[in-house]
Amino acid sequence: MTEYIDVDVRPILRAGGEPFSVIMAALDNLESGQGMRLYVTFKPVPLFAVMLNKGFAHSERPLEGGEWEVLFTPAGAPQERTPAMTNSSFDNWPEPAIQLDNRDLDPPEPMVRILAAADNLGPGETLSALLRREPVFLFPQLEKRGFRWLGGFAPDGATYQLTVRAPL
Amino acid sequence: MIGTSISRWSMTYFAMALAWLLAALVMMVAGIGYPAADLATPDTLVLVHMVCIGWLSLAMCGALFQFVPVLVAKPLFSEKWELPALALLSAGLVLLLAGFLSLGGRLPPALWLLPLGAVMLVGGFGLVVVDLGLTAWLRPAGPARFVLVGLASLCATAAFGAVFAFALAGCAGSAGEVILAEGIPLHAVAGLGGWLTLTAMGVSYRLLAMFMLSPDVDDQQSRWTLAAGAFAVAVTVAGGALAVGFASGLNVVLSISAILGLASAVLYGRDIAGLFRLRKRRHLELNMRMATLSFASLAGTGLLGIALVSIDAFPEQIGAFAFLAIFGWLSGLVLAKLYKIVAFLTWLETYGPVMGRAPTPRVQDLVAEGRATKWFVIYYAAVWIGTVTLLIAEPNSFRIAAVAMIVGVVGIAREIVRIRRLADVAGPQRLPIGTVMPHLLYANP
Repeated sequence: MTEYIDVDVRPILRAGGEPFSVIMAALDNLESGQGMRLYVTFKPVPLFAVMLNKGFAHSERPLEGGEWEVLFTPAGAPQERTPAMTNSSFDNWPEPAIQLDNRDLDPPEPMVRILAAADNLGPGETLSALLRREPVFLFPQLEKRGFRWLGGFAPDGATYQLTVRAPL
Repeated sequence: MIGTSISRWSMTYFAMALAWLLAALVMMVAGIGYPAADLATPDTLVLVHMVCIGWLSLAMCGALFQFVPVLVAKPLFSEKWELPALALLSAGLVLLLAGFLSLGGRLPPALWLLPLGAVMLVGGFGLVVVDLGLTAWLRPAGPARFVLVGLASLCATAAFGAVFAFALAGCAGSAGEVILAEGIPLHAVAGLGGWLTLTAMGVSYRLLAMFMLSPDVDDQQSRWTLAAGAFAVAVTVAGGALAVGFASGLNVVLSISAILGLASAVLYGRDIAGLFRLRKRRHLELNMRMATLSFASLAGTGLLGIALVSIDAFPEQIGAFAFLAIFGWLSGLVLAKLYKIVAFLTWLETYGPVMGRAPTPRVQDLVAEGRATKWFVIYYAAVWIGTVTLLIAEPNSFRIAAVAMIVGVVGIAREIVRIRRLADVAGPQRLPIGTVMPHLLYANP
């Protein structure tokens, strides 16, 4: 049974961003035998060929609102990986400068702490945070401040992983 | 906009709703409508619709415009519809009430006001249903499914209501007359049981889990609660309509519906008990403590119903039963949650822009729970005493209880205004540089 790591790039796409480098970075972090469950706002046909070259078969499923869930499953022995592409408007996101575990804080404390920590990030730095819920009230605040973010539930469905990147 | 922004007009809905509640309570004190008059009199119709449309439905719509996007993590389908919907609902309600007053001879005869008001209400609720329905449909899981069933019940309620209004004005033909004569329980069950209760249940699952740090109720578990409630409404509406058509069997239909409704309430009690049991946050805020009184009122409503049926007194005492459901369960829950929702939204609106950049108060710094507690206690005590006075047919004692309800509601409303005005936030944290004072009646997202 293949274990899938969730990657949700819909926030980036909705913000008009380019998710390719993020997907490639996530791919580099996969362990042997792991697959990737990708959430996107369109059917990412060009990605299928790229992923096939990297040894991943794909199967896709439409969601509501024109969105797609794509499963990338390692097909046999993975081929040698090429370095992640860095030619997009997003450079590879660096390792988080700050890590927060906000899972057991009373709401809205998780949001307060993320905003406070985000304000201390240097240009282009990232922070990561663990949460219980999708922080729907946080996103507009991040957007107003020019931050980008990437988030999704971990496979257990109980922890939301959020990465926030400060504007360059 | 990604995520959920602050709903601009929810505060306006809440303010209008509280104004209607106070107006209805003043009528009760003045002895207009039930229990001073019969349940079926035009005066009671005025009172019931002030409470169910003016107070409960407007407050529920205001809350849903804010929280359905939270439930589905998607923006509202259209924020532009909120204010026109409020205008249509308010104007429609005023015309409907004027029509009832004219029906009862308190205004000159103008029965055409009833269908006109009904059409405007259908228009207003139509905007609400389409806007919220298209939003909730994007991720119809968990609590959002309760909202969808609630919205469907609202459509059924409004459809029956519109037929009644045309029938009362004498322009619905003989079919309309039959539906008017027999169909009022269907209208009431769909409205109170389907629209208001199922929606309140759905929203409460998420709010309680959020505020108490409990894991969400499992979808597999809550689906039985919803299924029982949805079946109760569906049996009432579809089976009831058939029974009215065939002129027989309505009591059987309503009995089946009552059993299903009771099952749904019991399952809901189990779900809520689970949320309390599994909570990570041991200390309960005032809104949660007061919500437990509302759950107790729901349980009390169920027990009262069983007791009244078993001693064959339900038809005579249906007013007391409905009073406890409307004011103990629904109104109590809405008041308790309004107290929290207004504080949270005001905090987010005011301090969101500077959060992390300047010291800001906590949400709890916006409220003065010690002072507010007594108003809630007065309110619930008055509702329970009021129910007893209705059961023992003491209309004058009931009016005293209604006065106490006004005292409680005015006290709670004053606390909510103080929250909105940041009146209890002390010192330099109140308005740091970069923040602006929120407006009382609408939000600046």
